[in-house]
Amino acid sequence: MKKKLNFKNFSIYFDQYLFISITLLSIMGLFFLYSASQEDLNTVIKQSIFVGFGLMLMFTVSQLDPDFYKMSSGLFLVFSIVLIFITMLFGKEINGAKRWLDVGFFTLQTSEIVKIALPIFLASYLYNKPLPISLNHTFKTLILISFIFFLVYRQPDLGTGLVVFMAGIYILFLAGLSWKFIFTSFGLIVLSLPFLWNNFLQPFQRQRILTFLDPSSDPYGSSWNITQSKIAIGSGGMSGKGYQEGSQAHLNFLPEAETDFIFAVIAEEFGFVGVCILLSIFFFILLRCLYLAFNARDRFCRLTIGGLSLIFASTLFINLGMVVGIIPVVGMPLPFISKGGSSLLSFYIAFGIIISMATHKKLMQK
Amino acid sequence: MINLEERVVEKKSFFNRLLIVYLFFALIFIFFLQRTYSLQVSEFNNYELAAIENKTKEVLVQPIRGIIYDRNGNILVNNVPSYDLIIKPWQISNIDNFIKEISSFIDLKQGEIDFVIENFKQKSRYNRELILKKGLTKVEIARFEVRSFKFPSAFIDERYSRKNKYPQLFSHAIGYVGGVSNDQLSTILEDQSLNQDETIFRYSNGFLIGKTGIENTYDKILRGLFGKKIYEVDARGKLLRETDFIKPIDGDSLFTSLDLDSHKVAFEKMNNRRGAVVAIEIESGSIVTYLSTPSFSSNDISNGMSSNAFNALLKDANKPFFDRAAQGRYSPASTIKPAIGLFGLDEGLIDWSFSIDDPGYFILPEDQRVYRGWRKGGHGIVDLNKAMIVSSNTYFFSLAYQSDIDDLIKHLSNFGFGRNVCLDCFNPGIGLLPTPEWKMNNLNFGWFKGDTVNLGVGQGYFSATPMQLAYYASMIANKGSHKRLTLVENQVPKILENLPVNKIQNSDWEKLHLSMIGVIDDPQGTAKSLKDLKTYTVAAKSGTVELVSTETKEDYRIIRENEGNRDHAIIIAFGPMPEPKYAVSVIIENGESGGSVAGPVAIAVLNSLIEK
Repeated sequence: MKKKLNFKNFSIYFDQYLFISITLLSIMGLFFLYSASQEDLNTVIKQSIFVGFGLMLMFTVSQLDPDFYKMSSGLFLVFSIVLIFITMLFGKEINGAKRWLDVGFFTLQTSEIVKIALPIFLASYLYNKPLPISLNHTFKTLILISFIFFLVYRQPDLGTGLVVFMAGIYILFLAGLSWKFIFTSFGLIVLSLPFLWNNFLQPFQRQRILTFLDPSSDPYGSSWNITQSKIAIGSGGMSGKGYQEGSQAHLNFLPEAETDFIFAVIAEEFGFVGVCILLSIFFFILLRCLYLAFNARDRFCRLTIGGLSLIFASTLFINLGMVVGIIPVVGMPLPFISKGGSSLLSFYIAFGIIISMATHKKLMQK
Repeated sequence: MINLEERVVEKKSFFNRLLIVYLFFALIFIFFLQRTYSLQVSEFNNYELAAIENKTKEVLVQPIRGIIYDRNGNILVNNVPSYDLIIKPWQISNIDNFIKEISSFIDLKQGEIDFVIENFKQKSRYNRELILKKGLTKVEIARFEVRSFKFPSAFIDERYSRKNKYPQLFSHAIGYVGGVSNDQLSTILEDQSLNQDETIFRYSNGFLIGKTGIENTYDKILRGLFGKKIYEVDARGKLLRETDFIKPIDGDSLFTSLDLDSHKVAFEKMNNRRGAVVAIEIESGSIVTYLSTPSFSSNDISNGMSSNAFNALLKDANKPFFDRAAQGRYSPASTIKPAIGLFGLDEGLIDWSFSIDDPGYFILPEDQRVYRGWRKGGHGIVDLNKAMIVSSNTYFFSLAYQSDIDDLIKHLSNFGFGRNVCLDCFNPGIGLLPTPEWKMNNLNFGWFKGDTVNLGVGQGYFSATPMQLAYYASMIANKGSHKRLTLVENQVPKILENLPVNKIQNSDWEKLHLSMIGVIDDPQGTAKSLKDLKTYTVAAKSGTVELVSTETKEDYRIIRENEGNRDHAIIIAFGPMPEPKYAVSVIIENGESGGSVAGPVAIAVLNSLIEK
């Protein structure tokens, strides 16, 4: 139930279902991270600061009226694009990638902001367009999406770039993209796949996809991560090896155990039972979002809740799919669980906005 | 702005589209769950095993080779500990300082320092030990021990070397050990279903395998079984802790039939001349003496020697590596005569009273070719007994002349010629028992009657190893039956061989023995000089292997200027008669006289075996 608690002079906007389940996930995440980081208290303390800050951020963001977001969405988008340009110029380079901006107390991954700003902007752009969305609007939207995707992709960050791209497409689709356009462009994309493969993907990305298709071709190269991750998950069995008992994680066989592959640590230590419990919380959050989207006050709110929740779902499934080897390795965190700053905060903000969209009611629908 | 009707349509369209995407995600979700279920539940066993394999590292632990004894329980080969200074690189922060401190009281060679510095980083990263110095002296051990509290990251450990206590005496019989090829190693480890892996060595020289001799033929018994230490490792292969230790099983001791004292005697008597001595315990068929000279130090080969010294051994004209006892090929010469005589008796060609006039030569009726005896003018009227004692060539030429070549070859083969007579010797030679087929195939000539005549005095193409000659002597001593030769009892099944006979009686054997006793004891005997070297009766037959055929003594005097042209001296003997216990064969290359040169060695060996 969405709630609007009325006090004397002001109201508090709050959704206890989302708030409790997200808080629960975050606490579980800290607990898992302690084991995945090999009992490194520093990591956990730093993460719990982010979690605390994130929860406050979520609460704060949810107090603002949807109209505020609708009105200032253009400003947000411009701001986030400027940030990406600043990153390009002054960013911190790690492993050949310039994705981070040093803002003193932590490094900001600027693409995480545009990941939220873009769908909100598109929702505010499309909420009053007649159905189906005209070709003119479709192309304008697509050009904007592609432009931002290209900026992120150049950092290079294919994973986040794809999520940004998907975020835009979700809004466009939900807003009523014409089916004719969908089928035509789908056909064109399939036809142009070989061209994309040859001209658009880096050799290492092609290699990743190839080894994904045939993991045995390269047991200690690119697919080492997937192999070790599968061993970690598989060896967890039904009930797991026990907290802090995962040998794959604790003897460093598992790569990126604190970030991208933290799910493998959980699966190793808590088994299939643990996996099911964790996933049911995620599943509950998604169902709640679906409910909230259906009951949103207007088209803008619907689109925003739908788009943001689908970004959440996409991130979740890309991470899970990667960890069990269904899809190739792309850097993608497990929301609310993986160690991280910007990506973690971006989801608190996203859910803050979702709660804002769901709880602010108007007597008359516009 | 859109109107109300459109708004309803829009809402419916939104719901449908959101549901489509959600359904799509639900499908992925189900697929993901199914995938996780198959990993964690269906294939759990495989992945559990993979996780255990990941974190487990087996390190082999080398077993110690078994000790080799002689037949009286004397240790011949054992393992001698040396003390090595070993360091734990992962506990040392600055290796240069560490070496500086150590070298202030232990003398380190530049090579040793370089080796450690070169390997330090890698060994340190993986928690592996490193040997700083091998073979510490007692003084160095003491110097280190009093300072050991300052060096918790270093310790002294025992490593072994394989040592033969009598390195010259058994170089061929027992042989030596050496490094293992990768193929050999994987075969050895496969026997234990182990993989080639890192190994904790207990020998300074690492993996060892028997290269020659008993060390080789009984390698499997001697080497024992590898143990293993099982460690938990991290992804980088760093050893974290020992989880299990399966101890190695050291090799079994080997009790050989070799006799230390007789080896000492034989070695001393051979005095580094080229040749071989083989002695056999007749009843058991056990080889008690197995010596090839000149010899070399098997310890130098086993434990490393300079390449200069090794090349000098290889190039030595006397070929010390060559195992003359088991592989040398020598014409049996006159030592074959007892077998030819037996053949004549068995085939009914002669009996003990049959005699001929020996003019000192035999003329082959076919082509009038002359075959000479060793004594000008001959030996007069000779029967078999006298022909044995004085070693009349003419008698045996004419006997061989009457023989069927195929039957004769079969007869000689029954005495062990042309085949392997030893069950557990390393790489035994078989000499050459020529047959008409062999001659046709190899020399492209038919068999001449003259070839058969030559066979009658053990010359021509016919050759045998000292081992075969000893076996042959022992079979005569045992009256036609014998066990195949062995070096270690109870490890190989005994094989008894019998000489198939038609007419030969026990009395024939006794008379043959008497005639062989006459070779030493008769005033006319070819080995009469040996008579006083012993206190019991010995039967023998001497021989002189002609390397260059000469018409006259004058001619021989000329060719003997070159040592390599001189005749080989050869003798077979057994005793004490009438119940012989040991048989012996001695060959001395270019020693010239079987009786007086090879004879004393044979008697000395028999003395050491019998007079115990």
